[in-house]
Amino acid sequence: MLEISVELFGQLSPLSPRRQALDLANHATVQDAAKLLELNADEIGLITINGVQSEMQDQLTSDSRLCFFPYITGG
Amino acid sequence: MKLLRVDMNQSLVQWEPVPPVYERLGGRALIARLLLEEVPPTCDALGPKNKLIFTPGLLGGCGATAAGRLSVGAKSPLTRGAKEANAGGTAGDALGKLGIKAVVIEGRAPRGNWSILRIRGGSAELLPDGDVPGSGTYRTSDLLQEKYGATSTVISIGQAGEMCLGGAGICVTGEAGQRSNHAARGGLGAVMGSKGLKAIVIDKPVGKVVPYADEELFRTAARNFAQKLINDPKLGTKGSQHLYGTASIVAAVNEMGAFPTRNFSNGNFEGLETLRGEYLREVTLNRGGQVGTRCMPGCVIACRNVYVDTNSKPIVGTLQFETIALLGSNLGLSSLDEVAQLNRMCNDFGLDTIETGAALGVAIEAGLGKFGDFESIRRLLAQVSEGTVLGRLIGSGAVATGRVLGIRRVPAAVGQAMPGYDPRSLKGNGVTYATSPQGADHTAGNAFGARKEVNPLGTQGQKELSLKLQIIAAMLDSTGLCLFARPPIITNPQLMVDMINGRYGWGWTVEDYDRANREVLRTELEFNRLAGLTAADYRIPEYMCDEPLPPHNVTFDVPTSDMASVFEAL
Repeated sequence: MLEISVELFGQLSPLSPRRQALDLANHATVQDAAKLLELNADEIGLITINGVQSEMQDQLTSDSRLCFFPYITGG
Repeated sequence: MKLLRVDMNQSLVQWEPVPPVYERLGGRALIARLLLEEVPPTCDALGPKNKLIFTPGLLGGCGATAAGRLSVGAKSPLTRGAKEANAGGTAGDALGKLGIKAVVIEGRAPRGNWSILRIRGGSAELLPDGDVPGSGTYRTSDLLQEKYGATSTVISIGQAGEMCLGGAGICVTGEAGQRSNHAARGGLGAVMGSKGLKAIVIDKPVGKVVPYADEELFRTAARNFAQKLINDPKLGTKGSQHLYGTASIVAAVNEMGAFPTRNFSNGNFEGLETLRGEYLREVTLNRGGQVGTRCMPGCVIACRNVYVDTNSKPIVGTLQFETIALLGSNLGLSSLDEVAQLNRMCNDFGLDTIETGAALGVAIEAGLGKFGDFESIRRLLAQVSEGTVLGRLIGSGAVATGRVLGIRRVPAAVGQAMPGYDPRSLKGNGVTYATSPQGADHTAGNAFGARKEVNPLGTQGQKELSLKLQIIAAMLDSTGLCLFARPPIITNPQLMVDMINGRYGWGWTVEDYDRANREVLRTELEFNRLAGLTAADYRIPEYMCDEPLPPHNVTFDVPTSDMASVFEAL
């Protein structure tokens, strides 16, 4: 098992507690975490793991800080 | 359409037909061409040979949503090259409806002679300005709307523009008493001040509509365009941009380690919690302020807010991402109330919050204030309107401030301060800052949010991404379209081509349109080359290439060869 910290932003945060710790199986991916949080993948615009832009298939480790953002645009 | 030329030397206004060379150009494209045709590239940006151009985009006045921006341009006193900055408000729409392709301010009035240009329907006159010199933009707008009508549009400069300071922008009013839409970047307010023009007042064009070559084609495309914006997950009524405004990205930029903190010395700010867009929305609504309002007539994105104090009294509208970054984290401030107060001061003095925030960061690094100490920062900023030597220095921008105070850590490229994305952690923006003919300007090609295209921390693919974004930005700025309205056009350029053909009947194809957008960049690059800008100007400051930026501890390391070859594919 691995424990990671998760934070949700914008419109995604009302769906779950904004910050939480998640227990996941070893070798779990971002997608596993999203599923556990019942996030709709179509509503996720940006993912970061420890500040690095990431994707659904990326693997998590026990020191991962995982952030999910809605679709956002710069300007 | 027609062109209005204003000769400030002789106080003359003259209408003329649009010369053929400018006929198919608007906004930034028109500015670039007019500068190259009519302004000696090596001229003094604050001298009589420079020209200040106000122009709606090609779609100005048409009623297409999010397409009413006013472009302002000239040779920039900061970058020394071609500059375009644009603003919301009602000016772009009004000029478009009046059939005015551009207002070109030429010459230079004798020092101390201030005028107001009044445009009413098909007539224009220069009026002596006895009341407003020395006033900030709020008072100027109030007095002029009181005198000429509450529905008129006022374009004005504050004290910073009057003093010809490089950080000065130009302020535009909007609907229903709205203030402070700024064409902020590049020191264009200083150019307006150098001409002796304090303000332009445009009477509301009642009952005016633009002619259409094919109204059905235009309206169908415009409807589709608006609907796609409404359906877009970023922009529609449930989208981040509408709910949280431009501040929706504060947390993401911070998380990615690119949020300017204490004069660009860190990419993470510990005080983020109270600067986030979500927090801004919560505070604003709890206090009785407004979110989700618009800066231009008919805009369906509506990302503007009105930030209020604890008594529901408006402090500033709109409080934006760039301002939160440059006047907030960059100065070590974590209170939105404090950022909003500094924002209001900048708006009133007529200062670009990006340039001024960067200059203040440099001044603090030189020991003239303290990061996180609002009062010391407020006192520094207040000196701009007082016209003290230090105030004028800060108002002159980041590069001037660094040079005089002996600070080498100046976050600027091509003479202009960087916006709210540190290029070491968002390298695509670094490529744009250092290669765009517009200088360090995120609106010239913002790589933030280009998910699945490149790794923001890597060097691969950055030059290709930047070029693509720079071409898109040239398109937006030439049509009067808001930066945020780009997704439907990127997905389906035919929508824009149909709107243009419906309006003008030019029979453009997507290829014609792409060529026109690329030509904007070529024209600006040529003007800058003739103005004397070289590879030595187009670069990221040396310290950013050597000094690792926490938390990722990265430097700006896009190869010089990539930077030098961005436009090979143009």
